Amino acid sequence: MRVEKLKAGQEIRYSGKLIVMRDQAQKRLKVFLEKGETLPVDLTGEIVFYAGPAKPSCGRGVGAIGPTTSARMDDFLEMLFQLGVLATVGKGKRSQKAVEVCKKWKRVYFIAPSGTAAALSKRVKNSEVLAFEDLGPEAIYEIEVEDFPLIVAIDSEGETIFKE
Amino acid sequence: MIHEHVILKKVKEALVDANTKINREVETFLERYEGPFSDIIKENFRISKEEKLPLCQDTGLVEFFVFAGHKLAFEKPIEDILNKAVEEVYTEFPFRYSVVSDPLFDRINTNTNTPAVVHLFHVPGKKLEIRFLVKGGGSENLALLRMLNPSSSVIEVKELIIEHIRNNGAKACPPLHVGIGIGGSAEKAVLLSKLALTKDFKERNKDPRYAKLEEELERELNLLGIGFQGLGKGPTVYSVHVECFPTHIATLPVAISVDCYLCRKGKVIIES
Repeated sequence: MRVEKLKAGQEIRYSGKLIVMRDQAQKRLKVFLEKGETLPVDLTGEIVFYAGPAKPSCGRGVGAIGPTTSARMDDFLEMLFQLGVLATVGKGKRSQKAVEVCKKWKRVYFIAPSGTAAALSKRVKNSEVLAFEDLGPEAIYEIEVEDFPLIVAIDSEGETIFKE
Repeated sequence: MIHEHVILKKVKEALVDANTKINREVETFLERYEGPFSDIIKENFRISKEEKLPLCQDTGLVEFFVFAGHKLAFEKPIEDILNKAVEEVYTEFPFRYSVVSDPLFDRINTNTNTPAVVHLFHVPGKKLEIRFLVKGGGSENLALLRMLNPSSSVIEVKELIIEHIRNNGAKACPPLHVGIGIGGSAEKAVLLSKLALTKDFKERNKDPRYAKLEEELERELNLLGIGFQGLGKGPTVYSVHVECFPTHIATLPVAISVDCYLCRKGKVIIES
């Protein structure tokens, strides 16, 4: 996917891999970097989905899943791009600083529909814990999604769909 | 005497319903909504109901408001019974454990979604009424307490609320249910703002002046045009409720709490 060609407001259906991580995992990655240690995950070319899934239901590998508030993690955004992340997926408006970071790195921010976790879980084909299993729903997961509804909320030019 | 098993059964059923069945009041709004993501929003509540999957992955911190009649006796502390209900529901159903034991240092998941937050009110009579909110973290983060000067005007109170929602509303999964607590002490105002969220959308404050304030806030907040998911289409708020309490001559506490567009809540009434 050529993320820099996407325009704010564009609706897409994404099929492919997402790396699920949220607040605590990013805080830990930052500590790894500060100590100069090797990270437990390689984020080059990945899309990060800010989410923490529910437990799987019987017979299903993937629990209810959906985006969490992205703005909480604005301070980690530049770190993700430095690590090679192409785009992030979450919900809600982000800070002006996050918009500038997207523009600077030519990266995008997508929103996924919130409060639709049962329906989104049907679009997840596989999931696997990659790191930080002790964090439970805040562990880092890799998931494979099909037909995942996304809207470009901040594009690589720094255009955004949210009102000022 | 109200037996533990009676409370447990009713509260558990209500907790499962709140997490898996769309709130009727919300459903009427959702059916009219045709903006972005509308198909998946509607698909979601069908799937949740059919498969008892949670509507939202954030199955919340459960907050109870217990109104216990003074003539009632319980087999054990009501708080213990309610925590048992939460633990049983959240371990039996495919819900998320969203509670960590220590807030600052360890943040280790309790793996039961307990403890719940329990507020007790002793009221006359022999009825037990338990209201609860399944409160997601995204909407909870919008809670605000401001201690205004006692000479502040109604307009200043309105501006505080409108400014807060204008700047932050899109983060909390709008359309929002907005609860306002005015008066009391600092924590009383916050509690009132939460109690306001347990009300039905059509309820109005009994004091016509506060009822008018609720209506004005509802109209003005909807003019912000934040809309479903912050994308500008559909209402910004469903309803606004104001709860008040007498206060100190030197203070005017104003608290704001919001609930996300799913408004997951419940009410259990048990007569002795």
